[in-house]
Amino acid sequence: MERKALGAICACLLLLIVGIAGCTGTQTETPAATGSEKQTYIIGIDAEYPPYSYLDKDGNAIGFDVDSAKWIAEQQGFDVTFQPTAWDGIIPALQAGKIDMVYSGMTITKERQEKVNFSIPYWKVNQSVAIHDDTSVTMDDFYAGTLIIGAQRGTTGQIWVEENLIETGKMPAENLKLYDNFPLVATDLQNKRIDAAIYDTPPMLDAIADKPAHIIGEIDTGEEYGVAIRKSDVALLNTMNEGLEKLMNDPYWDELQDKWEM
Amino acid sequence: MDQITFLTEILLPALMSGLVVTLQLIAVSAPFGLLLGIGVAVGRQYGGGILSPVCKVFVYLIKGTPLLLLLIILYFGLPSVGITFSAFTASVIGFILCNGAYNSEYIRGAILSIKDGQMVAAQALGMTRLQAIRNIILPQALIRAIPGLSNEFIYLIKYSSLAYMLTVIELSGAGKLVATKYFAYTETFMVVGLVYLALVTITTVAVNLLEKHVSVPGMIRGETSAMQL
Repeated sequence: MERKALGAICACLLLLIVGIAGCTGTQTETPAATGSEKQTYIIGIDAEYPPYSYLDKDGNAIGFDVDSAKWIAEQQGFDVTFQPTAWDGIIPALQAGKIDMVYSGMTITKERQEKVNFSIPYWKVNQSVAIHDDTSVTMDDFYAGTLIIGAQRGTTGQIWVEENLIETGKMPAENLKLYDNFPLVATDLQNKRIDAAIYDTPPMLDAIADKPAHIIGEIDTGEEYGVAIRKSDVALLNTMNEGLEKLMNDPYWDELQDKWEM
Repeated sequence: MDQITFLTEILLPALMSGLVVTLQLIAVSAPFGLLLGIGVAVGRQYGGGILSPVCKVFVYLIKGTPLLLLLIILYFGLPSVGITFSAFTASVIGFILCNGAYNSEYIRGAILSIKDGQMVAAQALGMTRLQAIRNIILPQALIRAIPGLSNEFIYLIKYSSLAYMLTVIELSGAGKLVATKYFAYTETFMVVGLVYLALVTITTVAVNLLEKHVSVPGMIRGETSAMQL
Protein backbone atom coordinates (compact mmCIF):
# COMPACT_ATOMS: atom_id res chain seq x y z
CA MET A 1 0.00 0.00 0.00
CA GLU A 2 2.67 2.48 0.99
CA ARG A 3 4.63 1.76 -2.16
CA LYS A 4 1.56 2.44 -4.26
CA ALA A 5 0.94 5.77 -2.50
CA LEU A 6 4.58 6.73 -2.94
CA GLY A 7 4.39 5.82 -6.62
CA ALA A 8 1.26 7.95 -7.05
CA ILE A 9 2.91 10.93 -5.38
CA CYS A 10 5.97 10.53 -7.58
CA ALA A 11 3.78 10.40 -10.69
CA CYS A 12 1.95 13.55 -9.62
CA LEU A 13 5.21 15.36 -8.97
CA LEU A 14 6.50 14.27 -12.35
CA LEU A 15 3.38 15.60 -14.06
CA LEU A 16 3.73 18.87 -12.20
CA ILE A 17 7.36 19.24 -13.23
CA VAL A 18 6.57 18.41 -16.85
CA GLY A 19 3.73 20.91 -16.74
CA ILE A 20 5.88 23.69 -15.37
CA ALA A 21 8.70 22.85 -17.76
CA GLY A 22 6.17 22.99 -20.59
CA CYS A 23 5.07 26.46 -19.54
CA THR A 24 8.52 27.92 -19.31
CA GLY A 25 9.41 26.23 -22.57
CA THR A 26 6.80 28.15 -24.52
CA GLN A 27 7.66 31.36 -22.74
CA THR A 28 11.27 31.23 -23.77
CA GLU A 29 10.40 30.20 -27.30
CA THR A 30 8.33 33.26 -28.12
CA PRO A 31 11.05 35.92 -27.89
CA ALA A 32 13.44 33.70 -29.80
CA ALA A 33 10.91 33.29 -32.59
CA THR A 34 10.08 36.97 -32.75
CA GLY A 35 13.72 37.95 -32.66
CA SER A 36 14.35 36.48 -36.05
CA GLU A 37 10.93 37.24 -37.52
CA LYS A 38 8.31 39.93 -37.18
CA GLN A 39 7.27 41.41 -33.86
CA THR A 40 3.81 40.26 -32.70
CA TYR A 41 1.57 42.72 -30.88
CA ILE A 42 -1.49 41.68 -28.88
CA ILE A 43 -4.48 43.90 -29.54
CA GLY A 44 -7.14 44.04 -26.83
CA ILE A 45 -10.69 44.27 -28.14
CA ASP A 46 -14.21 44.41 -26.80
CA ALA A 47 -15.63 41.18 -28.24
CA GLU A 48 -19.17 42.59 -28.36
CA TYR A 49 -18.68 45.84 -30.21
CA PRO A 50 -19.96 45.44 -33.76
CA PRO A 51 -19.21 46.70 -36.33
CA TYR A 52 -15.81 47.74 -34.89
CA SER A 53 -14.72 44.55 -33.21
CA TYR A 54 -16.59 41.36 -32.44
CA LEU A 55 -16.31 37.62 -32.86
CA ASP A 56 -17.69 35.50 -35.68
CA LYS A 57 -19.32 32.11 -35.09
CA ASP A 58 -15.94 30.39 -34.97
CA GLY A 59 -14.58 32.84 -32.40
CA ASN A 60 -12.37 34.79 -34.80
CA ALA A 61 -12.10 38.52 -34.29
CA ILE A 62 -13.72 40.49 -37.10
CA GLY A 63 -14.85 44.06 -37.66
CA PHE A 64 -13.89 47.45 -38.98
CA ASP A 65 -11.17 48.03 -36.40
CA VAL A 66 -9.90 44.47 -36.71
CA ASP A 67 -9.51 44.81 -40.49
CA SER A 68 -7.87 48.21 -40.05
CA ALA A 69 -5.40 46.80 -37.53
CA LYS A 70 -4.52 43.91 -39.82
CA TRP A 71 -3.94 46.29 -42.75
CA ILE A 72 -1.73 48.59 -40.67
CA ALA A 73 0.21 45.61 -39.32
CA GLU A 74 0.89 44.41 -42.83
CA GLN A 75 1.98 47.87 -44.00
CA GLN A 76 4.17 48.53 -40.97
CA GLY A 77 5.66 45.06 -40.86
CA PHE A 78 4.43 43.42 -37.68
CA ASP A 79 2.02 40.66 -36.73
CA VAL A 80 -1.10 41.05 -34.60
CA THR A 81 -3.23 38.75 -32.51
CA PHE A 82 -6.56 39.80 -31.00
CA GLN A 83 -7.39 39.30 -27.36
CA PRO A 84 -11.02 39.81 -26.26
CA THR A 85 -10.89 41.66 -22.93
CA ALA A 86 -13.52 42.89 -20.48
CA TRP A 87 -14.08 46.53 -21.38
CA ASP A 88 -14.08 47.89 -17.82
CA GLY A 89 -10.71 46.26 -17.21
CA ILE A 90 -9.10 46.84 -20.58
CA ILE A 91 -6.92 49.81 -19.59
CA PRO A 92 -5.42 48.00 -16.59
CA ALA A 93 -4.78 45.04 -18.90
CA LEU A 94 -2.93 47.39 -21.22
CA GLN A 95 -0.94 48.92 -18.36
CA ALA A 96 -0.08 45.49 -17.00
CA GLY A 97 1.27 44.39 -20.39
CA LYS A 98 -1.35 41.68 -20.98
CA ILE A 99 -2.12 43.44 -24.24
CA ASP A 100 -0.06 45.92 -26.27
CA MET A 101 -2.81 48.21 -27.53
CA VAL A 102 -6.57 48.75 -27.49
CA TYR A 103 -7.91 49.11 -31.02
CA SER A 104 -11.62 48.70 -30.47
CA GLY A 105 -13.57 51.92 -30.83
CA MET A 106 -12.11 53.50 -27.72
CA THR A 107 -13.12 57.12 -27.20
CA ILE A 108 -10.26 59.46 -26.39
CA THR A 109 -11.04 61.01 -22.99
CA LYS A 110 -8.99 63.17 -20.65
CA GLU A 111 -9.19 60.58 -17.87
CA ARG A 112 -7.94 57.80 -20.13
CA GLN A 113 -5.20 60.05 -21.52
CA GLU A 114 -3.78 60.39 -18.04
CA LYS A 115 -3.14 56.63 -18.02
CA VAL A 116 -2.33 55.78 -21.64
CA ASN A 117 -1.33 57.41 -24.93
CA PHE A 118 -3.76 57.68 -27.80
CA SER A 119 -3.02 57.60 -31.50
CA ILE A 120 -4.39 60.24 -33.83
CA PRO A 121 -8.20 60.07 -33.91
CA TYR A 122 -9.56 57.90 -36.70
CA TRP A 123 -13.33 58.03 -36.25
CA LYS A 124 -16.07 60.26 -34.83
CA VAL A 125 -19.22 59.05 -33.11
CA ASN A 126 -22.13 60.32 -31.09
CA GLN A 127 -24.13 58.71 -28.32
CA SER A 128 -27.59 57.49 -29.19
CA VAL A 129 -30.60 56.77 -27.02
CA ALA A 130 -32.89 53.82 -27.70
CA ILE A 131 -36.28 52.94 -26.19
CA HIS A 132 -38.70 50.02 -26.37
CA ASP A 133 -41.17 50.15 -29.29
CA ASP A 134 -44.13 49.94 -26.87
CA THR A 135 -43.21 53.07 -24.96
CA SER A 136 -43.42 56.63 -26.14
CA VAL A 137 -40.89 58.51 -24.03
CA THR A 138 -39.03 61.31 -25.75
CA MET A 139 -35.57 62.84 -25.67
CA ASP A 140 -37.06 65.59 -23.49
CA ASP A 141 -37.86 62.97 -20.83
CA PHE A 142 -34.35 61.64 -21.22
CA TYR A 143 -32.74 65.06 -20.74
CA ALA A 144 -35.09 65.80 -17.84
CA GLY A 145 -33.74 62.76 -15.99
CA THR A 146 -37.10 61.11 -15.41
CA LEU A 147 -36.17 57.79 -17.02
CA ILE A 148 -34.42 54.65 -15.84
CA ILE A 149 -31.37 54.47 -18.08
CA GLY A 150 -29.19 51.46 -18.87
CA ALA A 151 -25.56 51.63 -19.99
CA GLN A 152 -22.53 49.39 -20.25
CA ARG A 153 -20.04 49.83 -17.42
CA GLY A 154 -16.98 51.88 -18.34
CA THR A 155 -18.41 53.34 -21.55
CA THR A 156 -18.69 56.98 -22.51
CA GLY A 157 -22.49 56.56 -22.40
CA GLN A 158 -22.24 55.90 -18.64
CA ILE A 159 -19.91 58.87 -18.24
CA TRP A 160 -22.25 61.16 -20.18
CA VAL A 161 -25.24 60.28 -18.00
CA GLU A 162 -23.20 60.69 -14.82
CA GLU A 163 -21.83 64.07 -15.83
CA ASN A 164 -24.92 65.55 -17.41
CA LEU A 165 -27.83 64.04 -15.50
CA ILE A 166 -26.64 62.68 -12.15
CA GLU A 167 -24.04 65.25 -11.14
CA THR A 168 -26.37 68.08 -12.13
CA GLY A 169 -28.99 66.62 -9.77
CA LYS A 170 -31.58 65.96 -12.49
CA MET A 171 -31.60 62.22 -11.97
CA PRO A 172 -31.02 60.02 -8.89
CA ALA A 173 -27.90 57.89 -9.23
CA GLU A 174 -29.80 54.62 -8.72
CA ASN A 175 -31.78 55.22 -11.93
CA LEU A 176 -28.65 54.54 -13.96
CA LYS A 177 -28.33 50.76 -14.30
CA LEU A 178 -24.91 49.49 -15.27
CA TYR A 179 -24.29 46.22 -17.09
CA ASP A 180 -21.33 44.06 -17.91
CA ASN A 181 -21.84 44.25 -21.67
CA PHE A 182 -24.23 45.94 -24.04
CA PRO A 183 -26.25 42.88 -25.11
CA LEU A 184 -27.40 42.65 -21.49
CA VAL A 185 -28.53 46.30 -21.62
CA ALA A 186 -30.46 45.55 -24.82
CA THR A 187 -32.02 42.49 -23.15
CA ASP A 188 -33.20 44.54 -20.19
CA LEU A 189 -34.57 47.19 -22.54
CA GLN A 190 -36.56 44.41 -24.18
CA ASN A 191 -37.66 43.25 -20.70
CA LYS A 192 -38.73 46.87 -20.02
CA ARG A 193 -36.75 47.05 -16.79
CA ILE A 194 -35.13 50.17 -18.18
CA ASP A 195 -36.82 52.96 -20.13
CA ALA A 196 -33.86 53.88 -22.29
CA ALA A 197 -30.41 52.67 -23.27
CA ILE A 198 -27.44 54.83 -24.16
CA TYR A 199 -24.52 53.70 -26.33
CA ASP A 200 -22.32 54.74 -29.27
CA THR A 201 -24.55 54.93 -32.35
CA PRO A 202 -23.09 52.28 -34.71
CA PRO A 203 -22.96 49.40 -32.19
CA MET A 204 -26.34 50.50 -30.82
CA LEU A 205 -27.92 49.98 -34.25
CA ASP A 206 -26.44 46.52 -34.35
CA ALA A 207 -27.43 45.57 -30.80
CA ILE A 208 -31.11 46.50 -31.18
CA ALA A 209 -31.49 45.25 -34.75
CA ASP A 210 -33.43 42.15 -33.69
CA LYS A 211 -35.06 43.73 -30.64
CA PRO A 212 -38.37 45.59 -30.36
CA ALA A 213 -36.56 48.88 -29.84
CA HIS A 214 -35.61 51.96 -31.81
CA ILE A 215 -33.38 55.00 -31.52
CA ILE A 216 -35.17 58.20 -30.55
CA GLY A 217 -32.27 60.58 -30.71
CA GLU A 218 -28.58 61.25 -30.74
CA ILE A 219 -26.52 63.27 -28.32
CA ASP A 220 -23.91 65.23 -30.20
CA THR A 221 -20.89 64.38 -28.09
CA GLY A 222 -18.43 64.47 -31.00
CA GLU A 223 -16.34 61.71 -29.49
CA GLU A 224 -13.26 60.57 -31.29
CA TYR A 225 -11.90 57.05 -31.39
CA GLY A 226 -8.19 56.40 -31.07
CA VAL A 227 -5.85 53.49 -30.51
CA ALA A 228 -4.68 53.29 -26.88
CA ILE A 229 -1.04 52.40 -26.30
CA ARG A 230 1.08 52.19 -23.13
CA LYS A 231 2.85 55.47 -22.26
CA SER A 232 6.21 53.72 -22.37
CA ASP A 233 5.65 52.36 -25.89
CA VAL A 234 6.50 55.53 -27.81
CA ALA A 235 7.89 53.61 -30.79
CA LEU A 236 4.65 51.67 -31.19
CA LEU A 237 2.64 54.91 -30.95
CA ASN A 238 4.64 56.40 -33.84
CA THR A 239 4.25 53.21 -35.87
CA MET A 240 0.48 53.21 -35.35
CA ASN A 241 0.11 56.93 -36.13
CA GLU A 242 2.03 56.42 -39.36
CA GLY A 243 -0.06 53.36 -40.18
CA LEU A 244 -3.34 55.15 -39.46
CA GLU A 245 -2.39 58.08 -41.69
CA LYS A 246 -1.47 55.70 -44.49
CA LEU A 247 -4.74 53.83 -44.01
CA MET A 248 -6.94 56.92 -44.03
CA ASN A 249 -5.28 58.13 -47.25
CA ASP A 250 -5.63 54.76 -48.92
CA PRO A 251 -8.60 53.67 -51.07
CA TYR A 252 -8.88 50.68 -48.71
CA TRP A 253 -10.28 53.07 -46.06
CA ASP A 254 -13.41 53.69 -48.17
CA GLU A 255 -13.61 50.03 -49.05
CA LEU A 256 -13.61 49.17 -45.35
CA GLN A 257 -16.38 51.64 -44.60
CA ASP A 258 -18.48 50.12 -47.35
CA LYS A 259 -17.73 46.62 -46.18
CA TRP A 260 -18.89 47.33 -42.63
CA GLU A 261 -21.74 49.59 -43.76
CA MET A 262 -20.64 52.64 -41.84
CA MET B 1 -5.76 64.05 -6.40
CA ASP B 2 -3.69 62.53 -3.65
CA GLN B 3 -4.26 59.14 -2.08
CA ILE B 4 -5.85 60.39 1.14
CA THR B 5 -8.55 62.47 -0.56
CA PHE B 6 -9.23 59.62 -2.97
CA LEU B 7 -9.64 57.24 -0.06
CA THR B 8 -11.76 59.42 2.23
CA GLU B 9 -13.82 61.40 -0.26
CA ILE B 10 -14.40 58.97 -3.10
CA LEU B 11 -13.61 55.38 -2.26
CA LEU B 12 -14.94 55.03 1.28
CA PRO B 13 -18.32 56.76 0.72
CA ALA B 14 -18.89 54.61 -2.37
CA LEU B 15 -17.92 51.45 -0.50
CA MET B 16 -20.12 52.37 2.47
CA SER B 17 -23.24 52.55 0.30
CA GLY B 18 -22.16 49.32 -1.36
CA LEU B 19 -21.64 47.69 2.03
CA VAL B 20 -25.17 48.61 3.08
CA VAL B 21 -26.53 46.80 0.01
CA THR B 22 -24.31 43.77 0.69
CA LEU B 23 -25.58 43.61 4.29
CA GLN B 24 -29.18 43.87 3.07
CA LEU B 25 -28.59 41.02 0.62
CA ILE B 26 -27.12 38.84 3.37
CA ALA B 27 -29.69 39.79 6.01
CA VAL B 28 -32.55 38.78 3.73
CA SER B 29 -30.91 35.70 2.21
CA ALA B 30 -29.34 34.03 5.26
CA PRO B 31 -32.47 33.34 7.40
CA PHE B 32 -34.44 31.97 4.47
CA GLY B 33 -31.41 30.02 3.32
CA LEU B 34 -31.23 28.40 6.75
CA LEU B 35 -34.95 27.59 6.79
CA LEU B 36 -34.77 26.16 3.28
CA GLY B 37 -31.72 24.14 4.31
CA ILE B 38 -33.55 22.66 7.30
CA GLY B 39 -36.61 21.91 5.19
CA VAL B 40 -34.65 20.24 2.41
CA ALA B 41 -32.47 18.23 4.81
CA VAL B 42 -35.48 16.94 6.77
CA GLY B 43 -37.40 16.35 3.56
CA ARG B 44 -34.58 14.38 2.06
CA GLN B 45 -33.97 12.34 5.20
CA TYR B 46 -37.55 11.66 6.31
CA GLY B 47 -39.60 12.71 3.28
CA GLY B 48 -40.40 9.27 1.95
CA GLY B 49 -40.99 8.23 -1.64
CA ILE B 50 -41.92 11.57 -3.19
CA LEU B 51 -40.49 14.44 -1.15
CA SER B 52 -37.11 12.83 -0.63
CA PRO B 53 -36.23 12.47 -4.35
CA VAL B 54 -37.52 16.00 -5.02
CA CYS B 55 -35.14 17.40 -2.39
CA LYS B 56 -32.35 15.27 -3.78
CA VAL B 57 -32.85 16.59 -7.32
CA PHE B 58 -33.04 20.17 -6.03
CA VAL B 59 -29.71 19.85 -4.23
CA TYR B 60 -28.20 18.07 -7.23
CA LEU B 61 -29.24 20.84 -9.63
CA ILE B 62 -28.06 23.70 -7.44
CA LYS B 63 -24.77 22.01 -6.58
CA GLY B 64 -24.16 21.10 -10.20
CA THR B 65 -24.57 24.54 -11.78
CA PRO B 66 -22.70 27.80 -11.24
CA LEU B 67 -24.56 30.35 -9.12
CA LEU B 68 -23.85 33.02 -11.72
CA LEU B 69 -25.80 30.99 -14.28
CA LEU B 70 -28.72 30.68 -11.88
CA LEU B 71 -28.71 34.43 -11.27
CA ILE B 72 -28.59 35.24 -14.97
CA ILE B 73 -31.51 32.90 -15.64
CA LEU B 74 -33.50 34.43 -12.76
CA TYR B 75 -32.87 37.98 -13.92
CA PHE B 76 -32.41 37.99 -17.68
CA GLY B 77 -34.11 34.72 -18.61
CA LEU B 78 -37.39 34.67 -16.69
CA PRO B 79 -38.85 37.88 -18.20
CA SER B 80 -39.27 35.93 -21.45
CA VAL B 81 -41.90 33.78 -19.66
CA GLY B 82 -43.47 36.80 -18.02
CA ILE B 83 -41.76 36.78 -14.61
CA THR B 84 -39.87 40.00 -14.02
CA PHE B 85 -38.00 40.26 -10.73
CA SER B 86 -36.14 43.34 -9.65
CA ALA B 87 -32.37 42.91 -9.61
CA PHE B 88 -32.34 42.78 -5.80
CA THR B 89 -35.14 40.19 -5.63
CA ALA B 90 -33.56 38.01 -8.31
CA SER B 91 -30.24 38.08 -6.44
CA VAL B 92 -31.85 37.22 -3.11
CA ILE B 93 -33.80 34.31 -4.64
CA GLY B 94 -30.62 32.97 -6.21
CA PHE B 95 -28.71 33.29 -2.93
CA ILE B 96 -31.47 31.60 -0.92
CA LEU B 97 -31.62 28.65 -3.33
CA CYS B 98 -27.84 28.23 -3.34
CA ASN B 99 -27.40 28.82 0.38
CA GLY B 100 -30.32 26.50 1.18
CA ALA B 101 -29.02 23.65 -0.97
CA TYR B 102 -25.56 23.67 0.63
CA ASN B 103 -26.95 24.23 4.13
CA SER B 104 -29.18 21.19 3.67
CA GLU B 105 -26.14 19.01 3.06
CA TYR B 106 -24.45 20.18 6.27
CA ILE B 107 -27.66 19.64 8.22
CA ARG B 108 -28.26 16.24 6.63
CA GLY B 109 -24.77 15.19 7.66
CA ALA B 110 -25.52 16.28 11.20
CA ILE B 111 -28.86 14.45 11.20
CA LEU B 112 -27.09 11.27 10.06
CA SER B 113 -24.72 11.60 13.00
CA ILE B 114 -27.61 11.32 15.48
CA LYS B 115 -28.15 7.67 16.37
CA ASP B 116 -31.33 5.99 15.07
CA GLY B 117 -32.07 4.83 18.59
CA GLN B 118 -33.08 8.35 19.57
CA MET B 119 -35.93 8.35 17.07
CA VAL B 120 -37.08 4.94 18.31
CA ALA B 121 -36.86 6.08 21.91
CA ALA B 122 -38.78 9.27 21.20
CA GLN B 123 -41.54 7.34 19.47
CA ALA B 124 -41.60 4.85 22.35
CA LEU B 125 -42.31 7.84 24.62
CA GLY B 126 -45.37 8.64 22.54
CA MET B 127 -44.01 11.33 20.23
CA THR B 128 -45.02 11.41 16.58
CA ARG B 129 -42.28 11.27 13.98
CA LEU B 130 -42.62 15.00 13.32
CA GLN B 131 -42.45 15.81 17.03
CA ALA B 132 -39.37 13.64 17.39
CA ILE B 133 -37.67 15.36 14.48
CA ARG B 134 -38.55 18.81 15.77
CA ASN B 135 -37.82 18.31 19.47
CA ILE B 136 -35.17 15.60 19.59
CA ILE B 137 -33.25 15.23 16.32
CA LEU B 138 -33.08 18.78 14.93
CA PRO B 139 -31.93 20.62 18.07
CA GLN B 140 -28.95 18.28 18.33
CA ALA B 141 -28.29 18.20 14.59
CA LEU B 142 -28.34 21.97 14.24
CA ILE B 143 -25.74 22.39 16.98
CA ARG B 144 -23.53 19.87 15.24
CA ALA B 145 -24.06 21.61 11.91
CA ILE B 146 -22.91 25.01 13.16
CA PRO B 147 -19.33 24.76 11.83
CA GLY B 148 -20.59 23.79 8.38
CA LEU B 149 -23.39 26.33 8.39
CA SER B 150 -21.07 29.13 9.41
CA ASN B 151 -18.79 28.14 6.56
CA GLU B 152 -21.69 28.47 4.17
CA PHE B 153 -22.63 31.82 5.69
CA ILE B 154 -19.10 33.04 4.98
CA TYR B 155 -19.48 31.84 1.41
CA LEU B 156 -22.72 33.79 1.22
CA ILE B 157 -20.91 36.97 2.24
CA LYS B 158 -18.47 36.45 -0.58
CA TYR B 159 -20.79 35.24 -3.30
CA SER B 160 -23.15 38.12 -2.64
CA SER B 161 -20.68 39.98 -4.84
CA LEU B 162 -22.20 38.19 -7.85
CA ALA B 163 -25.27 40.42 -7.48
CA TYR B 164 -23.39 43.13 -9.27
CA MET B 165 -23.69 41.14 -12.49
CA LEU B 166 -27.41 41.87 -12.19
CA THR B 167 -26.84 45.64 -11.80
CA VAL B 168 -27.11 45.57 -7.98
CA ILE B 169 -24.35 47.88 -6.83
CA GLU B 170 -23.13 46.10 -3.71
CA LEU B 171 -19.69 46.21 -2.11
CA SER B 172 -17.52 44.81 -4.88
CA GLY B 173 -19.67 46.39 -7.58
CA ALA B 174 -19.24 49.79 -5.95
CA GLY B 175 -15.52 49.10 -5.79
CA LYS B 176 -15.37 48.13 -9.42
CA LEU B 177 -17.18 51.32 -10.48
CA VAL B 178 -14.71 53.49 -8.58
CA ALA B 179 -11.79 51.46 -9.93
CA THR B 180 -13.01 51.81 -13.52
CA LYS B 181 -13.67 55.50 -13.22
CA TYR B 182 -10.41 56.45 -11.56
CA PHE B 183 -8.31 53.60 -12.93
CA ALA B 184 -7.24 52.84 -9.35
CA TYR B 185 -7.62 49.08 -9.39
CA THR B 186 -5.03 47.89 -6.90
CA GLU B 187 -5.88 50.40 -4.17
CA THR B 188 -9.63 49.95 -4.56
CA PHE B 189 -9.69 46.18 -4.49
CA MET B 190 -7.25 46.06 -1.57
CA VAL B 191 -9.70 48.14 0.47
CA VAL B 192 -12.68 46.08 -0.78
CA GLY B 193 -10.81 42.94 0.27
CA LEU B 194 -10.20 44.38 3.74
CA VAL B 195 -13.91 45.11 4.17
CA TYR B 196 -14.81 41.51 3.25
CA LEU B 197 -12.11 40.28 5.61
CA ALA B 198 -13.65 42.37 8.39
CA LEU B 199 -17.10 40.94 7.67
CA VAL B 200 -15.76 37.40 7.77
CA THR B 201 -13.83 38.11 10.97
CA ILE B 202 -16.96 39.39 12.67
CA THR B 203 -18.82 36.27 11.54
CA THR B 204 -16.11 33.94 12.80
CA VAL B 205 -16.06 35.57 16.23
CA ALA B 206 -19.86 35.57 16.42
CA VAL B 207 -20.01 31.88 15.50
CA ASN B 208 -17.46 31.02 18.18
CA LEU B 209 -19.57 32.81 20.76
CA LEU B 210 -22.71 31.10 19.48
CA GLU B 211 -21.09 27.68 19.64
CA LYS B 212 -20.06 28.26 23.26
CA HIS B 213 -23.49 29.56 24.10
CA VAL B 214 -25.43 26.59 22.71
CA SER B 215 -22.96 23.84 23.56
CA VAL B 216 -24.33 21.00 25.68
CA PRO B 217 -21.70 19.50 28.00
CA GLY B 218 -20.79 15.98 26.96
CA MET B 219 -22.85 16.02 23.76
CA ILE B 220 -20.04 16.33 21.28
CA ARG B 221 -17.14 13.96 21.51
CA GLY B 222 -13.82 15.62 22.21
CA GLU B 223 -15.56 18.79 23.27
CA THR B 224 -13.73 19.00 26.59
CA SER B 225 -10.39 19.07 24.82
CA ALA B 226 -11.73 21.66 22.38
CA MET B 227 -12.85 23.82 25.30
CA GLN B 228 -9.37 23.77 26.78
CA LEU B 229 -7.99 25.28 23.58
